[in-house]
Amino acid sequence: MGIITITLAIPVLGALLLGLHDGDDRTSKIIALVASLATFVASIVLLVQFQVSDANLQLAERLTWIPAIGAEFSLAVDGVSLVLILLTTFLTPLILVASWHSITDRLRGYLAAFLLLETAVIGVFAATDLLLFYFFFEFSLVPMYLIIGIWGGAGRKYAAVKFFLYTLLGGLLMLIAILYLYGQTGTFAYSDVLALSLSATEQRWLFLAFLVAFAVKVPVFPLHTWLPDAHTEAPTGGSVFLAGVLLKMGTFGLLRYALPFFPDATTEFAPWLLGISVVGILYGAIVALMQGDIKRLIAYSSVSHMGFVVLGTFALTTTATSASVVQMVNHGLSTGALFLLIGFLYERRHTRQIAAFGGLAKQVPVMAGLWLTVSLSSLALPGLNGFVGEFPILLGTFQINRTAGVLATFGAVLAALYLLWPYQRMFHGPLDTADNANTSDLKPREIGVLVPLVVLIVAIGLYPKPLYDIVEPSVDRVLTEVAEGVDAAGDVLGTAEEDGS
Amino acid sequence: MSTSLLSAVTPLLAQIAPVSVEWSAVAPELLPTAMALVLLLVAIARGRELIVAVPAALIAAAVGIWLISMAVVVPGAVVIAVGFALPASAVAFPRRQSLIRAFSAAAALVGALVLTGWQYATVLAPTAGGMTSQEALQGALANDGIAFFTRVTVYLSALLILPIGYGYLQERRINRAEVEPLLLLTVVGMAALGTANDLITMFVALEVLSIALYVLSGLARRDRRSQEASLKYFVLGAVSSAILLYGMALVYVATGSLDLAGIGSSIGLVTTPRVVAALGLALVTVGIGFKISLAPFHFWTPDVYQGAPTNITAFMAAATKAAGFAAVLRLYMVAFPALESLWVPILAGLAAITMLYGAIVALVQGDLKRILAYSAITHAGYAIIGVTANSDAGLTSTLWYLLTYAIGTIGAFGCVIALERRRRGEVTLKELRGLGRTSPLLAGILALSLLSLAGIPATAGFIGKLLVFQAGIAAGLTWLVIIGVLSSVIAAFFYLRIAATMFLEEPDPERGLPVVSTGLSLGVSVAATLIIYLGVYPQPFLQIVETAAALVR
Repeated sequence: MGIITITLAIPVLGALLLGLHDGDDRTSKIIALVASLATFVASIVLLVQFQVSDANLQLAERLTWIPAIGAEFSLAVDGVSLVLILLTTFLTPLILVASWHSITDRLRGYLAAFLLLETAVIGVFAATDLLLFYFFFEFSLVPMYLIIGIWGGAGRKYAAVKFFLYTLLGGLLMLIAILYLYGQTGTFAYSDVLALSLSATEQRWLFLAFLVAFAVKVPVFPLHTWLPDAHTEAPTGGSVFLAGVLLKMGTFGLLRYALPFFPDATTEFAPWLLGISVVGILYGAIVALMQGDIKRLIAYSSVSHMGFVVLGTFALTTTATSASVVQMVNHGLSTGALFLLIGFLYERRHTRQIAAFGGLAKQVPVMAGLWLTVSLSSLALPGLNGFVGEFPILLGTFQINRTAGVLATFGAVLAALYLLWPYQRMFHGPLDTADNANTSDLKPREIGVLVPLVVLIVAIGLYPKPLYDIVEPSVDRVLTEVAEGVDAAGDVLGTAEEDGS
Repeated sequence: MSTSLLSAVTPLLAQIAPVSVEWSAVAPELLPTAMALVLLLVAIARGRELIVAVPAALIAAAVGIWLISMAVVVPGAVVIAVGFALPASAVAFPRRQSLIRAFSAAAALVGALVLTGWQYATVLAPTAGGMTSQEALQGALANDGIAFFTRVTVYLSALLILPIGYGYLQERRINRAEVEPLLLLTVVGMAALGTANDLITMFVALEVLSIALYVLSGLARRDRRSQEASLKYFVLGAVSSAILLYGMALVYVATGSLDLAGIGSSIGLVTTPRVVAALGLALVTVGIGFKISLAPFHFWTPDVYQGAPTNITAFMAAATKAAGFAAVLRLYMVAFPALESLWVPILAGLAAITMLYGAIVALVQGDLKRILAYSAITHAGYAIIGVTANSDAGLTSTLWYLLTYAIGTIGAFGCVIALERRRRGEVTLKELRGLGRTSPLLAGILALSLLSLAGIPATAGFIGKLLVFQAGIAAGLTWLVIIGVLSSVIAAFFYLRIAATMFLEEPDPERGLPVVSTGLSLGVSVAATLIIYLGVYPQPFLQIVETAAALVR
């Protein structure tokens, strides 16, 4: 058993242990925390074993699973999946600590759901078998549905069902495409499907099926409508995990599956996707500006930010596409931190209306300082992590499509507006109401949760090279596969024409 | 002394039984049949069990000795032991009659499952390579992949339903002596339908199982809905049987053949009157469509499923579908492949209507049994996708789908029974409020069963749906699979609604706890375990399924 399987298995074992023991809440919390920390350690071992110079999928592990239908339990990582696995294992213990006291109802179920979710997400990032990938991709719906539905806010039932059905529909369309590919190869192995040569029409339809599944997950405008509801109603931990990790399953899927499998369709649809991304960036930003609920505002900002990631992915240049992977991590860190802060504030005040707050900076200076830092990171201030992701994306886009680049830059400008304006309204101005005057500052536990995030935000902002070093070779590999795929198709087409004449 | 007796009896037996009877082909059915007869006789004897028990024990001894003399030692010994144990226990525990009946029936079903496994090992797959087929009774029976899987599904369903329904029947005071024998007869009819290889056997098997089910669904004599269900089922079932029989007659007129392989070989000939054959096919489709409740021939299903005692409903939903589909698979893939261009579009259309109709109408139902009835209709549509694919993959995927569906359905209905026993009335969605808090384990199993029916990964239903969709796509029926996907999403909505009521809403303090007896918890736990096991590691079973396409053609 290799290190990836171990990383994958620890959370499940933790969840099983939670199910079996019937001790008090404190023991449950400790079990869950230990399991998630052990997972993090395992993923660090994974990082150590990883060969940065090797662009291919490495540390591969293969176990027989369902040979009767050609499905294998096969796992491997490349740079992209590695950083996303690290992001997942890094965020999970923080989430558990963050909700240490806030969840009291059915606590064991809550913790078990998070651990199962962690396994599902790691599985999505590490699977190199299409059926296994789909298995984890769809399975992740169940714990997330429960997290939103049971421990969420007032409108949780609607939000949970909407989340489930949207993603299920997208996923099932992808399943049809996967089964079609399976019909061609007879196995679900990633490498076998990659080696297929498909006709232009086949590519177009299959690409669209994959695209819908991933676009719902990202979410790409106009398939984003589940996200504001899910984000707003989910408990703090759920929002952090959703924004931090689950959305990345979509952009990861595009990069790992949709692009290299269907190179012709990718190049054909890329301009369209650039356009849709730009619309999403601007739409998300403008709608975020109009929100009165700070959590909903950040939810819409996710639509805008993830638009940048999709934009970078479909710019199809090494600079932009690598930057979009880095931006996935950045968005996970800064939006995750923002949701944590909102959660902490909500626990104190039980409201999320921006108008209810004012002049808090005098009362809660630590929270205000962290809030500002994270907001600045999210709006891509140079020196913080957001900048090193967003700037290369815009640069790369500008090189291939000036209009898209210029319009997307407006999104970056709007980000400053929708993040700083609420900050100003909430933390500056007169400390007018009694509620505001009685708000207490962050406790050491809460600061402890945020500090690792802020450290990473600054570190990546100042020295992003290690991150880029891990990501770039793998992105290059994918882009080469796309380019070669297009060339190969061109050659086939060329010979066909020659035969015809 | 005993050898002389044996030498006297053996030729006698050999004379009675025609030489060409392949006992191995019907071995699993013998046990439940014999048990059903014994239980019926005991039921008739009422207080004087010994009048039945002593002859039964003697017959069992004779059969056992004969079996041992034929060098079938272990089954022979088992027959003798069972033959003596049953009457002895009937006499020893006169007040525990219904428990003894249930245990006897369960023992017969376990025996049948064991014999099915033995049959698989010795007759169907003697070598590791794959499944072969066996023709028995001059071609009347076909012992092959369809037969094997129908047996497994049907026996397993009955075995799970017995403990689940035991307390329920007792509480409603409908645990009358005929329940278990009738259940066993139904099971035998279903297994026979799975092996039936000519039209006559098929029809007789279908009637055996239907008539027993008519009675079982009217078991609650004082419950008007149960009586209504029974009558409705009987009348509509009789009409559909008549239509089916008429169709079969037309097919016979067209081809001059009753066995399916013969029909298959002559139906494509130019000398065969194509119009008559097509008309026969159409009537057979309508008749069998009633039995497996395909829309638009489904309208008896919701009322009957709602009215019948819930354990009988669960059994009907799970096992009747498996048996009915066995007949469908054989009819279309063995007898009618030559008319493929005619029936594939019709069945595909019916599948599309069935999937969408069942899912959409289930959305507006409030009663849990009705929701599950419409869900059963939807699932018939999915299973038909495999038939429409008209390929080996389609055949095997349908068989697998029926097994996974049966387990999920029994799990779901089992939990409904626990709720029904709380209030002794219909179970509406309201009844489920907060169940996740008051009885988390029961709610968890119900949710798991529903997830399996919805086809979410890590449950058996996912692998079922996967195979059926794959067969459909491989056969070029992508449009039908897309409709299947759409109806899956609609269906997921109402399954989720049930789960949401249990976990996302607060319990009503006035409602009591569900009544979970030992038998019920045993049954649903086994179902839940199977759901997860077949969903996470289906390989051992799938391996068998993959070779199940070896048919008697």
